[in-house]
Amino acid sequence: MIHIKQFSYKPGEHEAETASNSYLMSLIAIIVGLPLPIVNLISTLIFYLGNRKATSFVRWHCTQALLSQLSMLLINSFGFWWTISIIFRDETISSKFIAYIIAALIFNLTEFIATIYTIIQTRKGIHVEWWFYGPLTNLICKTNS
Amino acid sequence: MRKSFIQGLITILLFFATWYALTQINWMNIFKVQQVTDKTEQKIGELFWEVFKKSEKEIKNTHVVNSVDSVVTHICKSNKIDRSKLKIHVLDKGDINAFALPNGHLIIYSGLILNSDNQEELAGVICHEIAHIELNHVMKKLVKEIGLSVLISMTTGNSSAEVIKEAAKMLSSSAFDRSLEKEADIKAVDYLVNANVNPEPFADFLFKLSDTEHEATKYFTWISTHPDSRERAEYIIQYSKGKETEYKPVLSIETWDKLITILEY
Repeated sequence: MIHIKQFSYKPGEHEAETASNSYLMSLIAIIVGLPLPIVNLISTLIFYLGNRKATSFVRWHCTQALLSQLSMLLINSFGFWWTISIIFRDETISSKFIAYIIAALIFNLTEFIATIYTIIQTRKGIHVEWWFYGPLTNLICKTNS
Repeated sequence: MRKSFIQGLITILLFFATWYALTQINWMNIFKVQQVTDKTEQKIGELFWEVFKKSEKEIKNTHVVNSVDSVVTHICKSNKIDRSKLKIHVLDKGDINAFALPNGHLIIYSGLILNSDNQEELAGVICHEIAHIELNHVMKKLVKEIGLSVLISMTTGNSSAEVIKEAAKMLSSSAFDRSLEKEADIKAVDYLVNANVNPEPFADFLFKLSDTEHEATKYFTWISTHPDSRERAEYIIQYSKGKETEYKPVLSIETWDKLITILEY
Protein backbone atom coordinates (compact mmCIF):
# COMPACT_ATOMS: atom_id res chain seq x y z
CA MET A 1 0.00 0.00 0.00
CA ILE A 2 2.78 2.42 0.87
CA HIS A 3 6.07 2.39 -1.01
CA ILE A 4 9.30 4.00 0.02
CA LYS A 5 10.92 5.30 -3.12
CA GLN A 6 13.86 7.38 -4.11
CA PHE A 7 13.05 11.02 -4.88
CA SER A 8 14.95 12.69 -7.70
CA TYR A 9 17.15 14.46 -5.13
CA LYS A 10 17.79 14.35 -1.39
CA PRO A 11 15.49 16.87 0.33
CA GLY A 12 16.89 19.28 2.87
CA GLU A 13 15.88 19.52 6.53
CA HIS A 14 13.47 22.43 5.95
CA GLU A 15 11.84 20.73 2.95
CA ALA A 16 11.24 17.54 4.90
CA GLU A 17 9.57 19.53 7.67
CA THR A 18 7.20 21.40 5.34
CA ALA A 19 6.33 18.21 3.41
CA SER A 20 5.59 16.46 6.67
CA ASN A 21 3.41 19.38 7.75
CA SER A 22 1.21 19.02 4.67
CA TYR A 23 0.01 15.66 6.03
CA LEU A 24 -0.17 17.04 9.52
CA MET A 25 -2.65 19.61 8.22
CA SER A 26 -5.11 16.89 7.30
CA LEU A 27 -4.80 15.35 10.75
CA ILE A 28 -5.32 18.60 12.63
CA ALA A 29 -8.34 19.29 10.46
CA ILE A 30 -9.90 16.00 11.51
CA ILE A 31 -10.72 17.59 14.85
CA VAL A 32 -12.80 20.25 13.13
CA GLY A 33 -13.59 18.16 10.09
CA LEU A 34 -15.27 15.22 11.75
CA PRO A 35 -18.77 16.59 11.43
CA LEU A 36 -18.03 18.38 8.16
CA PRO A 37 -15.94 16.27 5.79
CA ILE A 38 -15.08 19.23 3.54
CA VAL A 39 -12.85 20.91 6.16
CA ASN A 40 -10.02 18.39 5.67
CA LEU A 41 -9.99 19.07 1.97
CA ILE A 42 -10.02 22.84 2.43
CA SER A 43 -7.14 22.79 4.93
CA THR A 44 -4.92 20.66 2.69
CA LEU A 45 -5.92 22.82 -0.28
CA ILE A 46 -4.86 25.99 1.55
CA PHE A 47 -1.55 24.36 2.44
CA TYR A 48 -1.15 23.23 -1.16
CA LEU A 49 -1.83 26.70 -2.54
CA GLY A 50 0.53 28.23 -0.01
CA ASN A 51 3.34 25.97 -1.17
CA ARG A 52 2.89 26.19 -4.91
CA LYS A 53 6.24 27.91 -5.28
CA ALA A 54 8.06 25.63 -2.88
CA THR A 55 10.66 23.07 -3.85
CA SER A 56 9.57 20.01 -5.80
CA PHE A 57 9.75 17.62 -2.82
CA VAL A 58 7.39 19.84 -0.82
CA ARG A 59 5.08 20.37 -3.77
CA TRP A 60 4.95 16.64 -4.48
CA HIS A 61 3.89 15.79 -0.95
CA CYS A 62 1.42 18.67 -0.72
CA THR A 63 -0.23 17.29 -3.84
CA GLN A 64 -0.36 13.76 -2.49
CA ALA A 65 -1.83 15.01 0.81
CA LEU A 66 -4.48 16.98 -1.10
CA LEU A 67 -5.41 14.12 -3.41
CA SER A 68 -5.64 11.64 -0.56
CA GLN A 69 -8.42 13.79 0.92
CA LEU A 70 -10.58 13.52 -2.18
CA SER A 71 -11.64 9.89 -1.76
CA MET A 72 -12.24 10.43 1.93
CA LEU A 73 -14.33 13.48 1.03
CA LEU A 74 -16.55 11.33 -1.20
CA ILE A 75 -16.94 8.52 1.32
CA ASN A 76 -17.50 10.83 4.30
CA SER A 77 -19.85 13.23 2.48
CA PHE A 78 -22.09 10.38 1.46
CA GLY A 79 -22.10 9.06 5.02
CA PHE A 80 -22.68 12.55 6.39
CA TRP A 81 -25.74 13.26 4.23
CA TRP A 82 -27.11 9.80 4.82
CA THR A 83 -26.91 10.44 8.57
CA ILE A 84 -28.53 13.86 8.17
CA SER A 85 -31.39 12.37 6.18
CA ILE A 86 -31.94 9.79 8.92
CA ILE A 87 -32.10 12.45 11.60
CA PHE A 88 -34.14 15.06 9.77
CA ARG A 89 -35.91 13.27 6.94
CA ASP A 90 -37.87 10.08 6.34
CA GLU A 91 -34.90 7.71 6.17
CA THR A 92 -34.59 5.11 8.90
CA ILE A 93 -31.56 3.36 10.35
CA SER A 94 -30.85 0.10 8.54
CA SER A 95 -28.17 -2.57 8.53
CA LYS A 96 -27.01 -1.10 5.21
CA PHE A 97 -26.41 2.28 6.84
CA ILE A 98 -24.53 0.82 9.82
CA ALA A 99 -22.44 -1.30 7.43
CA TYR A 100 -21.60 1.83 5.42
CA ILE A 101 -20.55 3.74 8.51
CA ILE A 102 -18.31 0.83 9.62
CA ALA A 103 -16.79 0.55 6.12
CA ALA A 104 -16.19 4.31 6.12
CA LEU A 105 -14.59 4.08 9.57
CA ILE A 106 -12.24 1.29 8.39
CA PHE A 107 -11.15 3.36 5.39
CA ASN A 108 -10.76 6.50 7.49
CA LEU A 109 -8.70 4.61 10.02
CA THR A 110 -6.47 3.14 7.31
CA GLU A 111 -5.95 6.62 5.90
CA PHE A 112 -5.28 7.96 9.38
CA ILE A 113 -2.59 5.35 10.11
CA ALA A 114 -1.05 5.83 6.66
CA THR A 115 -0.97 9.58 7.26
CA ILE A 116 0.81 9.24 10.61
CA TYR A 117 3.35 6.87 9.09
CA THR A 118 3.93 9.27 6.20
CA ILE A 119 4.34 12.25 8.53
CA ILE A 120 7.12 10.42 10.37
CA GLN A 121 8.85 9.23 7.21
CA THR A 122 8.71 12.49 5.28
CA ARG A 123 10.00 14.32 8.35
CA LYS A 124 13.12 12.16 8.05
CA GLY A 125 13.34 13.12 4.41
CA ILE A 126 12.20 9.72 3.17
CA HIS A 127 10.02 9.81 0.07
CA VAL A 128 6.79 7.84 0.52
CA GLU A 129 4.36 7.04 -2.30
CA TRP A 130 0.86 5.84 -1.52
CA TRP A 131 -1.13 3.25 -3.37
CA PHE A 132 -3.11 4.98 -6.17
CA TYR A 133 -2.31 8.51 -4.95
CA GLY A 134 1.43 8.07 -5.55
CA PRO A 135 1.17 7.32 -9.28
CA LEU A 136 -1.58 9.96 -9.57
CA THR A 137 0.64 12.58 -7.94
CA ASN A 138 3.47 11.59 -10.29
CA LEU A 139 1.16 12.40 -13.19
CA ILE A 140 0.43 15.87 -11.83
CA CYS A 141 3.86 16.72 -10.44
CA LYS A 142 6.38 15.98 -13.13
CA THR A 143 9.16 17.11 -10.82
CA ASN A 144 10.00 13.64 -9.54
CA SER A 145 11.46 12.20 -12.69
CA MET B 1 -1.75 6.68 -16.18
CA ARG B 2 -2.86 3.07 -16.58
CA LYS B 3 -1.35 2.12 -13.23
CA SER B 4 -3.16 4.82 -11.26
CA PHE B 5 -6.41 4.06 -13.09
CA ILE B 6 -6.24 0.36 -12.17
CA GLN B 7 -5.24 1.15 -8.59
CA GLY B 8 -8.10 3.66 -8.32
CA LEU B 9 -10.56 1.11 -9.64
CA ILE B 10 -9.31 -1.51 -7.17
CA THR B 11 -9.69 0.98 -4.31
CA ILE B 12 -13.29 1.75 -5.30
CA LEU B 13 -14.08 -1.96 -5.69
CA LEU B 14 -12.44 -2.68 -2.35
CA PHE B 15 -14.64 -0.11 -0.64
CA PHE B 16 -17.85 -1.45 -2.16
CA ALA B 17 -16.78 -5.04 -1.41
CA THR B 18 -16.15 -4.11 2.23
CA TRP B 19 -19.53 -2.40 2.40
CA TYR B 20 -21.28 -5.35 0.77
CA ALA B 21 -19.57 -7.85 3.08
CA LEU B 22 -20.57 -5.80 6.11
CA THR B 23 -24.22 -5.58 4.99
CA GLN B 24 -24.40 -9.37 5.31
CA ILE B 25 -24.32 -8.93 9.09
CA ASN B 26 -27.58 -8.04 10.81
CA TRP B 27 -26.36 -4.92 12.61
CA MET B 28 -29.87 -3.95 13.65
CA ASN B 29 -29.98 -7.05 15.86
CA ILE B 30 -26.45 -6.65 17.15
CA PHE B 31 -27.00 -3.04 18.20
CA LYS B 32 -30.58 -3.80 19.35
CA VAL B 33 -31.76 -0.78 17.32
CA GLN B 34 -35.34 -2.00 17.10
CA GLN B 35 -35.64 -2.71 20.82
CA VAL B 36 -34.26 0.71 21.75
CA THR B 37 -36.58 2.45 19.26
CA ASP B 38 -39.60 0.50 20.51
CA LYS B 39 -38.80 1.30 24.12
CA THR B 40 -38.42 5.02 23.38
CA GLU B 41 -41.70 5.07 21.48
CA GLN B 42 -43.48 3.20 24.24
CA LYS B 43 -42.27 5.62 26.88
CA ILE B 44 -43.12 8.73 24.85
CA GLY B 45 -46.55 7.28 24.03
CA GLU B 46 -47.26 6.83 27.73
CA LEU B 47 -46.02 10.34 28.60
CA PHE B 48 -48.15 11.98 25.90
CA TRP B 49 -51.24 9.98 26.73
CA GLU B 50 -50.86 11.07 30.35
CA VAL B 51 -51.08 14.70 29.20
CA PHE B 52 -54.47 14.15 27.53
CA LYS B 53 -55.69 11.85 30.27
CA LYS B 54 -55.12 14.60 32.81
CA SER B 55 -56.62 17.46 30.82
CA GLU B 56 -59.57 15.76 29.07
CA LYS B 57 -62.28 13.39 30.18
CA GLU B 58 -62.16 9.92 28.69
CA ILE B 59 -65.52 8.38 27.77
CA LYS B 60 -65.76 4.97 29.41
CA ASN B 61 -69.36 4.22 28.42
CA THR B 62 -69.46 0.56 27.38
CA HIS B 63 -71.56 1.17 24.29
CA VAL B 64 -69.30 3.95 23.03
CA VAL B 65 -66.12 1.99 23.73
CA ASN B 66 -67.49 -1.20 22.18
CA SER B 67 -68.87 0.51 19.07
CA VAL B 68 -65.62 2.31 18.29
CA ASP B 69 -63.72 -0.85 19.13
CA SER B 70 -65.88 -2.86 16.69
CA VAL B 71 -65.02 -0.47 13.87
CA VAL B 72 -61.30 -0.52 14.71
CA THR B 73 -61.19 -4.32 15.14
CA HIS B 74 -63.01 -4.85 11.86
CA ILE B 75 -60.56 -2.59 10.02
CA CYS B 76 -57.56 -4.29 11.65
CA LYS B 77 -58.83 -7.79 10.96
CA SER B 78 -59.51 -7.04 7.29
CA ASN B 79 -56.06 -5.49 6.85
CA LYS B 80 -53.99 -7.90 8.94
CA ILE B 81 -53.04 -5.16 11.39
CA ASP B 82 -52.12 -6.22 14.91
CA ARG B 83 -55.12 -4.93 16.89
CA SER B 84 -53.35 -5.30 20.23
CA LYS B 85 -50.86 -2.63 19.14
CA LEU B 86 -53.59 0.02 19.00
CA LYS B 87 -54.94 1.74 22.08
CA ILE B 88 -58.14 3.60 21.32
CA HIS B 89 -59.35 6.42 23.55
CA VAL B 90 -62.55 8.39 23.03
CA LEU B 91 -62.38 11.77 24.73
CA ASP B 92 -65.31 13.98 25.62
CA LYS B 93 -64.52 17.12 23.63
CA GLY B 94 -66.48 19.08 21.06
CA ASP B 95 -63.60 19.60 18.61
CA ILE B 96 -63.77 17.60 15.39
CA ASN B 97 -60.43 15.93 15.83
CA ALA B 98 -58.69 12.59 15.87
CA PHE B 99 -54.96 12.01 16.10
CA ALA B 100 -52.35 9.37 16.67
CA LEU B 101 -49.76 9.41 19.44
CA PRO B 102 -46.61 7.27 19.59
CA ASN B 103 -46.91 3.60 20.54
CA GLY B 104 -50.28 3.14 18.83
CA HIS B 105 -52.42 5.47 20.95
CA LEU B 106 -55.30 6.72 18.82
CA ILE B 107 -57.38 9.54 20.28
CA ILE B 108 -60.83 10.34 18.95
CA TYR B 109 -62.82 13.34 20.17
CA SER B 110 -66.54 12.86 20.64
CA GLY B 111 -67.06 15.95 18.44
CA LEU B 112 -65.71 14.01 15.48
CA ILE B 113 -68.16 11.15 15.99
CA LEU B 114 -71.06 13.57 16.47
CA ASN B 115 -70.23 15.44 13.28
CA SER B 116 -69.90 12.30 11.16
CA ASP B 117 -73.08 11.86 9.15
CA ASN B 118 -72.58 8.12 9.03
CA GLN B 119 -70.23 5.46 10.36
CA GLU B 120 -68.28 5.29 7.07
CA GLU B 121 -67.07 8.85 7.63
CA LEU B 122 -65.82 7.93 11.08
CA ALA B 123 -64.24 4.72 9.72
CA GLY B 124 -62.47 6.82 7.08
CA VAL B 125 -60.88 9.14 9.65
CA ILE B 126 -59.94 6.16 11.87
CA CYS B 127 -58.32 4.44 8.86
CA HIS B 128 -56.40 7.63 8.09
CA GLU B 129 -55.03 7.76 11.64
CA ILE B 130 -54.25 4.01 11.69
CA ALA B 131 -52.35 4.56 8.43
CA HIS B 132 -50.25 7.25 10.18
CA ILE B 133 -49.46 4.74 12.93
CA GLU B 134 -48.73 1.85 10.59
CA LEU B 135 -46.52 3.98 8.34
CA ASN B 136 -44.58 5.20 11.39
CA HIS B 137 -45.40 8.84 10.61
CA VAL B 138 -45.84 9.80 14.26
CA MET B 139 -42.27 9.17 15.38
CA LYS B 140 -40.91 10.59 12.12
CA LYS B 141 -42.81 13.80 12.74
CA LEU B 142 -41.69 14.03 16.34
CA VAL B 143 -38.04 13.53 15.45
CA LYS B 144 -38.34 16.13 12.73
CA GLU B 145 -40.24 18.72 14.76
CA ILE B 146 -38.64 18.49 18.17
CA GLY B 147 -35.46 16.50 17.56
CA LEU B 148 -34.11 13.18 18.70
CA SER B 149 -32.20 14.58 21.67
CA VAL B 150 -35.32 16.17 23.21
CA LEU B 151 -37.26 12.93 22.71
CA ILE B 152 -34.56 10.89 24.42
CA SER B 153 -34.32 13.39 27.27
CA MET B 154 -38.09 12.96 27.74
CA THR B 155 -37.73 9.21 28.15
CA THR B 156 -34.93 9.59 30.66
CA GLY B 157 -36.95 12.05 32.71
CA ASN B 158 -34.73 15.02 31.95
CA SER B 159 -37.45 17.01 30.28
CA SER B 160 -39.86 19.34 32.00
CA ALA B 161 -43.58 18.58 32.07
CA GLU B 162 -44.16 21.72 30.02
CA VAL B 163 -42.00 20.46 27.14
CA ILE B 164 -43.83 17.11 27.11
CA LYS B 165 -47.18 18.91 27.16
CA GLU B 166 -46.20 21.17 24.28
CA ALA B 167 -44.96 18.24 22.19
CA ALA B 168 -48.14 16.25 22.85
CA LYS B 169 -50.32 19.23 21.94
CA MET B 170 -48.29 19.71 18.79
CA LEU B 171 -49.25 16.20 17.67
CA SER B 172 -52.92 16.89 18.26
CA SER B 173 -53.04 20.26 16.56
CA SER B 174 -50.76 20.15 13.56
CA ALA B 175 -50.72 18.14 10.37
CA PHE B 176 -48.02 15.96 8.94
CA ASP B 177 -46.14 16.82 5.77
CA ARG B 178 -48.25 17.04 2.67
CA SER B 179 -46.67 13.88 1.26
CA LEU B 180 -47.25 11.96 4.50
CA GLU B 181 -50.89 13.09 4.60
CA LYS B 182 -51.43 11.91 1.06
CA GLU B 183 -49.72 8.61 1.80
CA ALA B 184 -52.02 8.12 4.82
CA ASP B 185 -55.12 9.06 2.77
CA ILE B 186 -54.29 6.55 0.06
CA LYS B 187 -53.51 3.86 2.61
CA ALA B 188 -56.80 4.69 4.38
CA VAL B 189 -58.72 4.06 1.14
CA ASP B 190 -56.99 0.67 0.82
CA TYR B 191 -57.91 -0.18 4.40
CA LEU B 192 -61.52 0.86 3.82
CA VAL B 193 -61.87 -1.13 0.61
CA ASN B 194 -60.32 -4.21 2.25
CA ALA B 195 -62.76 -3.82 5.13
CA ASN B 196 -65.68 -3.53 2.67
CA VAL B 197 -66.38 0.01 3.83
CA ASN B 198 -67.27 2.55 1.19
CA PRO B 199 -64.45 5.16 0.97
CA GLU B 200 -66.68 7.76 -0.66
CA PRO B 201 -68.17 9.07 2.61
CA PHE B 202 -64.59 9.72 3.77
CA ALA B 203 -64.12 11.98 0.77
CA ASP B 204 -67.56 13.49 1.40
CA PHE B 205 -66.51 14.22 4.94
CA LEU B 206 -63.55 16.22 3.65
CA PHE B 207 -65.71 17.96 1.05
CA LYS B 208 -68.27 18.80 3.68
CA LEU B 209 -65.69 20.19 6.05
CA SER B 210 -63.94 22.19 3.36
CA ASP B 211 -67.23 24.00 2.90
CA THR B 212 -67.00 27.04 5.14
CA GLU B 213 -70.78 27.33 5.29
CA HIS B 214 -70.96 24.22 7.38
CA GLU B 215 -72.34 24.85 10.84
CA ALA B 216 -69.52 23.07 12.62
CA THR B 217 -66.70 24.96 10.92
CA LYS B 218 -65.61 26.65 14.12
CA TYR B 219 -64.70 23.30 15.67
CA PHE B 220 -62.79 22.00 12.66
CA THR B 221 -59.53 21.16 14.29
CA TRP B 222 -58.96 18.05 12.19
CA ILE B 223 -59.66 19.97 9.04
CA SER B 224 -57.76 23.12 9.86
CA THR B 225 -54.74 20.98 10.63
CA HIS B 226 -55.15 18.99 7.43
CA PRO B 227 -54.73 21.42 4.53
CA ASP B 228 -56.52 21.36 1.19
CA SER B 229 -59.41 19.15 2.15
CA ARG B 230 -61.03 19.60 -1.24
CA GLU B 231 -57.93 18.46 -3.07
CA ARG B 232 -57.64 15.49 -0.72
CA ALA B 233 -61.28 14.55 -1.27
CA GLU B 234 -60.67 14.64 -5.01
CA TYR B 235 -57.70 12.31 -5.02
CA ILE B 236 -59.45 9.97 -2.60
CA ILE B 237 -62.39 9.73 -5.02
CA GLN B 238 -59.97 9.29 -7.91
CA TYR B 239 -58.01 6.56 -6.14
CA SER B 240 -61.06 4.66 -4.93
CA LYS B 241 -62.53 4.55 -8.45
CA GLY B 242 -62.56 1.04 -9.85
CA LYS B 243 -62.09 -0.50 -6.43
CA GLU B 244 -65.81 -0.94 -5.80
CA THR B 245 -66.71 -4.08 -3.95
CA GLU B 246 -69.77 -4.98 -1.97
CA TYR B 247 -69.83 -2.45 0.84
CA LYS B 248 -71.34 -3.40 4.17
CA PRO B 249 -71.77 -1.29 7.30
CA VAL B 250 -69.68 -2.39 10.27
CA LEU B 251 -72.16 -1.33 12.91
CA SER B 252 -75.90 -1.85 12.72
CA ILE B 253 -77.99 1.29 12.27
CA GLU B 254 -79.35 0.91 15.79
CA THR B 255 -75.85 0.69 17.27
CA TRP B 256 -74.72 3.80 15.38
CA ASP B 257 -77.81 5.78 16.38
CA LYS B 258 -77.43 4.72 19.99
CA LEU B 259 -73.77 5.80 19.91
CA ILE B 260 -74.76 9.26 18.69
CA THR B 261 -77.55 9.53 21.25
CA ILE B 262 -75.21 8.65 24.12
CA LEU B 263 -72.58 11.14 22.99
CA GLU B 264 -75.13 13.91 22.56
CA TYR B 265 -76.00 13.75 26.25
